[in-house]
Amino acid sequence: MAVDRERAGAGFGEVSRVKGVAFRYVSFGASIVGLVALATLLVYVFIDAFDLANTNPVWLLVYFLTLVVPFIGFCLYSAGDRALTRRTALVLGGGLVATAVAFEAIELLITPIPRLTWQLAYLFVVVAPVVSYVVFVGAQKPVGATGFGLLGRTLGGAVLGTAVAILFIVLDMRLWFLVFTLGVVPAGAARAYGRYRGSGRALGLSIPVGVLGAVAAVFLRDVLRTYPTPPFIFIWTFGAPIALAAGLFVLNRGGTRRSAAAVGGVSLAAAAVGTVTGSSALPEGSAVLVFAAAAAPLAIHLHGVLDAEKGRVGLVLPVILGGGVLLGAALVGAFGIPGPDPWLDPGYLTEAPSRTAVEAGLYPAIVGSVIIIALVAVLSFVLGVGAAVFLEEYTADTGVVGAIARIIQINIANLAAVPSVVYGLLGLGLFANLLGFGFGTAVTAALTLSLLILPITVISAQEAIRAVPDELRQGSYAMGATRWQTTKKVVLPEAMPGILTGTILALGRAIGETAPLIMIGAATTVFSAPSNVWSRFSAMPMQIYAWANFPQAEFRYGVVAAGVVTLLIVLLSMNTTAIIVRNKLERDS
Amino acid sequence: MSDGAGTPDLQRPSSLTRIKESGYGGVFVACAAVTLLTTIAIFATLLSDALFFFSEVPITEFLSGTEWSPNPRGGGLSFGIVPLVIGTLTVTITAAFVALPIGTLTAIYLSEYATPRVRSILKPMLEILAGVPTVVYGYFALVYITPALQATLFPEMRTFNALSASLMIGIMTIPMVSSISEDAMSAVPDSLRQAGYGLGATKYEVSTGIVVPASLSGIASSYILAISRAIGETMIVVVAMGAQANMPEVRSALFGIPYIHPAEVLFDSGMTITVSMVQIAGGDLVGGTLPYDAMFALGLTLFVITLIMNVLSDIIAERYREAY
Repeated sequence: MAVDRERAGAGFGEVSRVKGVAFRYVSFGASIVGLVALATLLVYVFIDAFDLANTNPVWLLVYFLTLVVPFIGFCLYSAGDRALTRRTALVLGGGLVATAVAFEAIELLITPIPRLTWQLAYLFVVVAPVVSYVVFVGAQKPVGATGFGLLGRTLGGAVLGTAVAILFIVLDMRLWFLVFTLGVVPAGAARAYGRYRGSGRALGLSIPVGVLGAVAAVFLRDVLRTYPTPPFIFIWTFGAPIALAAGLFVLNRGGTRRSAAAVGGVSLAAAAVGTVTGSSALPEGSAVLVFAAAAAPLAIHLHGVLDAEKGRVGLVLPVILGGGVLLGAALVGAFGIPGPDPWLDPGYLTEAPSRTAVEAGLYPAIVGSVIIIALVAVLSFVLGVGAAVFLEEYTADTGVVGAIARIIQINIANLAAVPSVVYGLLGLGLFANLLGFGFGTAVTAALTLSLLILPITVISAQEAIRAVPDELRQGSYAMGATRWQTTKKVVLPEAMPGILTGTILALGRAIGETAPLIMIGAATTVFSAPSNVWSRFSAMPMQIYAWANFPQAEFRYGVVAAGVVTLLIVLLSMNTTAIIVRNKLERDS
Repeated sequence: MSDGAGTPDLQRPSSLTRIKESGYGGVFVACAAVTLLTTIAIFATLLSDALFFFSEVPITEFLSGTEWSPNPRGGGLSFGIVPLVIGTLTVTITAAFVALPIGTLTAIYLSEYATPRVRSILKPMLEILAGVPTVVYGYFALVYITPALQATLFPEMRTFNALSASLMIGIMTIPMVSSISEDAMSAVPDSLRQAGYGLGATKYEVSTGIVVPASLSGIASSYILAISRAIGETMIVVVAMGAQANMPEVRSALFGIPYIHPAEVLFDSGMTITVSMVQIAGGDLVGGTLPYDAMFALGLTLFVITLIMNVLSDIIAERYREAY
């Protein structure tokens, strides 16, 4: 060890290690104290949302054995690592004893811990981390990748499809039908023809044709009287194109014509199933969209798995999970074990708010959030990428342009630190009052939130563009490409993973913002979903804010907790998507 | 682009191409201009209504008044910002007591002690703290922290209080302090550390005696940013702190130094600048009334304070940065 201080004439002094070791542990403790606090709070809100505090331990045990243990087994099988298997078994078993003993000791000697039993503590402190770790390890091997890819793609497709379907609550379905038929289809046909024949003229015509068709559609909307039924509209505008795209994707990846047709056929068949089912929460016929969006990635993934001849076993994952749930339900039913009564259930997601806690739901707020986020996504992506391209590709370092770019750069950094409530005032004064977009409308909210996250999107897009190697640009210029051509064909495709990741993360910030929404006069509670973008709406965080003020315990510890968990799950899935998008696209390029 | 012909197209670009090029350039300039326009619009919106407000209520009265009641129904209107400033200061100082030491220690741990593997796990996880929606933090403070504190340490605490809101703000701002400070500490060249070890210093002495002083400007600028964030924080205080503009009793201590008893402001509900804006906005919004304009005056105050702090943090980071 090093020398502390030299005493005159006494040779080396003594060095105390105590101070250093203590400091090391104190600083480590400081770095995790915030995370531990947050984790504890999350555990409690989870327990409240799913009413786990009153759960029969036997019920937990049944599902632990039928669902969790087989699932962990699947992950361990995929990982194929004996040491890991042994360690997992050790942690699960040892953790069980350790948690029980420690928990009982604390309750006995120090203080009773409210609303927590040792079984729940075991679940959150031991089982949850173990499960996430084995999922992480297992998903990197072929078997796990197959299984989780299957679930993830199907679920992701279904969620995306549902989000788009929700947009049709405020969008005019018939206008969309006309725009699609007269604008999108001809434009797509022109593009396909141009690609196929290598005709630049047909390619160039596709955009004007599409615009003309869309304009014609807007005029025809009021003239035409009869329209196809909603399920047909969804089949024609979403089911068929999704199936076509899935088939083409398979062809592109080197699949045979027959497999491409099969993949397309499966997607179309799923869409057809959607015509006869539906949910009252979604617009009529839009189940087609949800089914098609879930089935297409599923079919593509299946084709890839069956082609690769590796990790096919992973396809049993849905069977394991479904079987586990069914078996658990059968056992629980047979022995009459009472289960929990969760606040966060399907009814909560599809019903309107209510004065009574049992009937209260989040549906209008979810619809409001989806609509706002869709608008914000479009606005902030366009503005953010545009500004970033200007700052990175179109400026000089010197001269007037350089000075302007520097000013904009400093300005963006300062905008990022302006409190969100001030953006709310901007929205109130500018969009709601001066421009007359109305108090608390979805348009006002979307514009306000877009400006709020604009600095974040610009900065992340800039970083992504800056990371594109300069050789690629020089190569493009050397081939005679113009600046726009270089940007479009070289820089943006290369930077897209980073840009997408940054945008999704920024949208995550927008979905949780509450203060600006209050300032622009968004409703705290609306009892029906908004009918168009100019109507007053609520959003998930607004609803949580409104409910948090209710003094009743059922609201405080039940309904709000369920809302908080919903919001956090949405956020978590957005962030996970962002990370997966980045990893996947980066690996491909 | 040529039409796929075999020979290269060596003509100069047609005028259509040139128009297209400058058109796209214009679009990008417009996008970048939106960011500038946002700042101008914020200034203009805040200033126009705030000026109207200050023409009705003198600015001296606004800054020195000790009563805040903008509610038209409650009778007397009075706009004195002092109680709001006291509320904001209470929250900010308490949050700083949590975030600054923890954030600094975290930064030291991450940059000096943690292995690369631990750092790669811990850093993104700390960012989660800043990513949780603030309304969720507010809910946590109201529903879990306050009852827990009431049951254990402070039974005299009210349901709505400043302390639990401040604790949550402190936790939320930890990553702000830690990430910027850690960047500054990582930028300290290794030769300085080696020199310290060469002189016989322990790791603890190198960390606290060499690395921290060398990165002091970065640490200071992270402090200012975190405090500015705490000042502008809205939802946590709105949900957990209640909305009562209290003027605490000013007592005089030894030698007549005035002070405010901390328990009085911490255990009681209070009102910050942001809360009062939300409270006015939550009522009936009618443009042109005095409370409506007061909201913009408060917004302007907040905007100016945070802007000054950001610029200050930039200057400190730039000017006092040791260039290695």
